[in-house]
Amino acid sequence: MKKVRELTPKKIGLNAWSNQFEKISVEIIKKYKYYNNNEWGIYLSPPATFMVYGARELKRLKFDNSFEALRMWGFVFNETERLFRARQINKKVIATMGDLGTVPVLVLSFPDCVPFYPECLWWTPFFKESTDLLDTASKLGLPEATCFSRAVASAFYKKSYFPKPDLIIASTGASCDDYSCVMQNVEDMGYDIMWIEIPYRKSLEFLLTRPKQQDLEKTKSGLVYIKKLEEYLVKEYHKIWQALFKLTGVNNPHRFLETIKKVNRLRSLVLEIKRMNSEADIAPLPALELMTIEFGNLYGYADFDEWVEIVQMIHDMVKKRVEKGIGVLKKDAIPIAWVTPSADPYLLNLVEDLGCRVVETEYVINQAMVQIEEDIEPFRALARSFINASLIGSTEERVKNIKEKIAKKLIKGVLITNMLGASHCSMETRIIEKLLDDVPVLSIDVPAPFGITQQIRTRLEAFVETIK
Amino acid sequence: MELIGYSCSYIPVELLSLTGLKPYRLLHGDLQLSQKGERIVRVDACPLVKSNLGFVFENQKRFACIIGSTGCDMSRRMIEAIKFTTSIPVYIFNNPRTDNFEIFSNEIDMLIKELEHFFHRKFDKNLIHQESERIENIRQNLRQIDARRRTNPSLLSTATFQKIVISYLQGNFGDIKSEIPEEMSYKPRVYLLGSPVSYESGPIIELIEKRLRICGDFNCGLSRALYIKVVEKTIEGLKQAYFKQPPCIFKRPNKGLYEYVEKDLKETKSTGIIAFVLDYCDNFDFEIAKMEKRFSLPILKLKSDFSLQNISQLKVRIDAFIEVLASYRGGIV
Repeated sequence: MKKVRELTPKKIGLNAWSNQFEKISVEIIKKYKYYNNNEWGIYLSPPATFMVYGARELKRLKFDNSFEALRMWGFVFNETERLFRARQINKKVIATMGDLGTVPVLVLSFPDCVPFYPECLWWTPFFKESTDLLDTASKLGLPEATCFSRAVASAFYKKSYFPKPDLIIASTGASCDDYSCVMQNVEDMGYDIMWIEIPYRKSLEFLLTRPKQQDLEKTKSGLVYIKKLEEYLVKEYHKIWQALFKLTGVNNPHRFLETIKKVNRLRSLVLEIKRMNSEADIAPLPALELMTIEFGNLYGYADFDEWVEIVQMIHDMVKKRVEKGIGVLKKDAIPIAWVTPSADPYLLNLVEDLGCRVVETEYVINQAMVQIEEDIEPFRALARSFINASLIGSTEERVKNIKEKIAKKLIKGVLITNMLGASHCSMETRIIEKLLDDVPVLSIDVPAPFGITQQIRTRLEAFVETIK
Repeated sequence: MELIGYSCSYIPVELLSLTGLKPYRLLHGDLQLSQKGERIVRVDACPLVKSNLGFVFENQKRFACIIGSTGCDMSRRMIEAIKFTTSIPVYIFNNPRTDNFEIFSNEIDMLIKELEHFFHRKFDKNLIHQESERIENIRQNLRQIDARRRTNPSLLSTATFQKIVISYLQGNFGDIKSEIPEEMSYKPRVYLLGSPVSYESGPIIELIEKRLRICGDFNCGLSRALYIKVVEKTIEGLKQAYFKQPPCIFKRPNKGLYEYVEKDLKETKSTGIIAFVLDYCDNFDFEIAKMEKRFSLPILKLKSDFSLQNISQLKVRIDAFIEVLASYRGGIV
C-alpha cells in the first residue's frame, strides 16, 4: 500500500493497475465497503475486473495511478451490484430523473432510501463498447438522432441494470426534451411515475419590462430570478416529501437538515478539488476522474456516506499533490473549458493526450455544485440551490463563468461536446460559439460507441494547434 | 410595426390582440427560411424553429415584440435566439408541463401586466370581455367551417380549410369568410396529427388530398387552436379555456392527448392516420410507436424537413398507404 502512495502521479492503463493492485494488502481491501457491510460490501478491485464484467472501454482508458482513484473507480463501477444489494436488504430504491442533483437531497433525508439517477446510464454503451442499449431503444421506437440518454428507456425495459424502483420521481418542464420524452416512454412501459414541474428561470432580458425589485431574487452566483419560481419549487418538493413519508412512514425534518449539511460537505469538497485542479501549476487530477467526481455530487453513486469519504480522500490527495507541485499532465498543458459532458469518456483522455488540460466545466449540473443555505427554511433552501440549474435558464447565463475566465485569460479554448438531435445542443451550440468568440471554440458531435474516428482526432489536433 | 408574434397555442390570442397589433403565430416552414435560421442554430434544430427564425430575421421591422413559451425546449430557445440576433423585445411564457394550473394562472397575470405596461394600455374588464367575445365568435365560425370537413361525406378539403385558418393564425381576422364552396368527397378518410403544419405546407396537404381526405386533425397549424372555448369572457375564463385546451403532446403525463385523439378519431370516422413529424421533433418522434399500438389504425409517418424534393416518393408512399387502408378494412375504405 505504502509503495502505491509513493508513486509519481501519472495516468496508467489496466495492466499497470493490476500490477499495482497486487501490492495492496488484504486488510486494506477489506477496509473499504459500501453500505458499511463487511460481508458483501467490499468494492476495491483493479479496473480490469470491471473490464472482464463487460466495461470493455476500460482497456482503452487511462486512469490516475493513485490508490484514491482506484477506490473511486471500484466504487463507481460497483453501482449496479450495490443497487440490487440495496433491494435485498430492504432499502427503498428511488429513481430520481431529470432534475440532476436536488431531489436526492430529499430522498436521502429518509432512512434506508437510496436515490439513483437512471440517466447516468447514458455512459453505459460507451463503457461497455456495446450498442445494445441504443439498438434496443431504436427497437422500442425511440429515434436514433437524439441524446444517448435514450439508453435509459432500454434499461427500464430490460430490467437488469437496476432493481424495479420503489418510487420514480421524474422532473420535467424547462429542461431538455429528449429526456422528458425518455421519461414519458418509461411511464408508457407501465412504471408509475410521480411528475414534478421544473419551471423556467426567466431572466430579465426575456421580459418586456423590468419587474419590481420586490418580485426579484438573486442566487449567490448572481443569477436574477422571479421569486415565484422559488415558491413553485417549494410546493413541488413538499409533494415529494409527502410521497416519501407515505413510502417510509417516517417524517423527520431534523434528518433533512442533517442531509443538507452532509450534501454541502460533499459539494464544498468537490468545489475545492475543482479549484485546486484549475489553479495548480500542474494538473493534479485527470479530467476523467474529475468528471466522475463532479457527477458524484448528484447522488453519491447510491451510497452517499461512502462517496463523501472517497471524495474526502481524493481531496486530501489532490491537496498534497498541489503542495508538492506534482501532477498528471505536463506543465505546459493548455487550459481549456469543456461544455456539456462527454457521453464517451474516452474523449477526456484523448484531449489530454493531445496536450490540453480541462480547467473549467459546464456539465449542466451546476445546481449540484452550489451550497444549500443552512440558515433558512430547508425546502426554500433546496429550491434556491436548484435555481442555479444550467438548463432552465438562458445560454448566456450558462456560460457566464467560462466567459469570466476567458476574460482573465485563464482559458485558451473551449470544447463543446454535442449529441446530434439533442434539443438544447442543437439550439445552444451556435450561440455559445458566438458568446465565447474571444477564444477558439471547437464543437464536436459525440459519435456512438466505436465512432471516434481519425477525422475527430484530426479536428481535435487542429483545435489544439490553433490554441497553442 | 404591425405584429405581435407568438409561438404557442397556450398563449391567449385575446390578450395579444388587445395591444392593437395582429397576433401572428410563428408557423413558418420553408426550406430557404430554414437555411437562414441556420445562421444561429445547428442544422439538427427543428425545421419549424429554423424557418421561424429565418422569417423573423427577414421581417424584424414588422414585430413590436414576440411572446414565446416554454412549450418544447427548442421553441423556448428560439425566443432566446431571436433576442440574441435581433432587437425585437421578447417575452417567455412559462407554460407548465405538468397539470399545474397555479403556474399557468400566475403566468397569465404576469403576461397581462407586461403587455399593459409595455404597450401603455389597461386591459380592463370591458375590453377583455369585448375581445374575448369577438375572438370566440371568430373561433365559433371556424369551428363551423371545420365541422364541414369532419362530416361524412366530408364537405370541405383540409387544403381549403388551412387557407382559412391561416388568416386566424396570422391575425387577419377580417379575412375569414363563412361562405365556402362545397368540396364533397368520398375519398378514404384520414386523420392528421403530428408536428405543426406550417403556412407553407399547402402543397403537401394538397398532395395527400389528391387521394385521401383529411377529415380531422390534432395539429397546431390547423384546428387545434379552434377547440379553445372561452365560455366566461373574463381573465379567469381565458385562463380556464386555454389551460384546458386539448393537451399538447409535451404535457406529462400525456394521456390527455391520447384520450382526445382517440375520441376524435371515432367522431371523424377516420380509417387511417397520417403522422406528420418534423425532423428532430422529439415529442412526436418518441411517440409514434405508441400511437401505432394505441390507435389501432394504419399510420403513415411522414418525416419532413419542409423540402419538397421527395414529392414523387411521397406520392408512392401515399398510394401504398391507400392499399394498406384497403386491406385493413377488408378491401373497403
